[in-house]
Amino acid sequence: MKQPEAMSNEFEQELARAMRGVDPPRGFADRVMARAQSDVPVRAKVLWMSRRVRQWTEGALAAALLAGVFLGEQAHLRHQREQAAQRQFEQAMRITNRTLEHVQQQLWDAGVR
Amino acid sequence: MAIADDEFRCLIESHQRMVYSIALRVTGDPSTAEEVAQDVFLELHRSVEQLAGADHIRFWLRRVATHRAIDAIRRNSTRPEADAEEWEDSRSAEDDAPIDNISLQARLDELLRVLPEPMRVVVLLRYQEEMLPDEIACLLGKSVASVKSHLHHGLKLMRRKAAVTMKEYVRETA
Repeated sequence: MKQPEAMSNEFEQELARAMRGVDPPRGFADRVMARAQSDVPVRAKVLWMSRRVRQWTEGALAAALLAGVFLGEQAHLRHQREQAAQRQFEQAMRITNRTLEHVQQQLWDAGVR
Repeated sequence: MAIADDEFRCLIESHQRMVYSIALRVTGDPSTAEEVAQDVFLELHRSVEQLAGADHIRFWLRRVATHRAIDAIRRNSTRPEADAEEWEDSRSAEDDAPIDNISLQARLDELLRVLPEPMRVVVLLRYQEEMLPDEIACLLGKSVASVKSHLHHGLKLMRRKAAVTMKEYVRETA
């Protein structure tokens, strides 16, 4: 009777023999070559598409930047106009105040209480 | 610079048997194996310039074929995998056919196909590709101890399964 180790070795030898390479189906290399050759235009198309997308993205970013600048400028002008109006209002209030004080002084001088 | 067509065809013809065999034995399905093998060669076509020398290409093809085949079975998850005990219970009358009817090699191949994936991959690389455990560990990115453990348990499980389905052979050799 064979020893377990010998049986194990025999099993492994049979396994190694069973594990011989298997040829792929006929025409495998041709199919890979065909795919490899069609792979190039596909990649070119992907690059072309990505360039289009990139151009579109750049255009959108430029438009967004211009819109941002325009809106910022508008906000700045509105702020300046508000400040000018505030200054005019304060100036008008000061003039009115001085006028009222002058009138009140004249009334006091005339003896009106 | 891309590889010339005739050079690439030469590479395919030199390695197609190895790549297809790995893909077939890992996935267990010829059509999936062909798909995996084609994808591996297409990947080689794109990155062959980064590979230096025949040995590097061979190592790269083994590694990529193994990983792509594992990815394919994990994606499909269609491979039935059973323990030896389960297999013994579900044995059909067909399994009792004389060993002469089905070649011993085909039966051993079948035993390999139903091993759990990590063991199957290690046994495949050890006996089909005749790689050493440290080379397999390097290829799979695992420790040598883990590879040896998978190899040991894989062979043990295969022997147990062989004892169930290949009684005639076991009796003859015993």
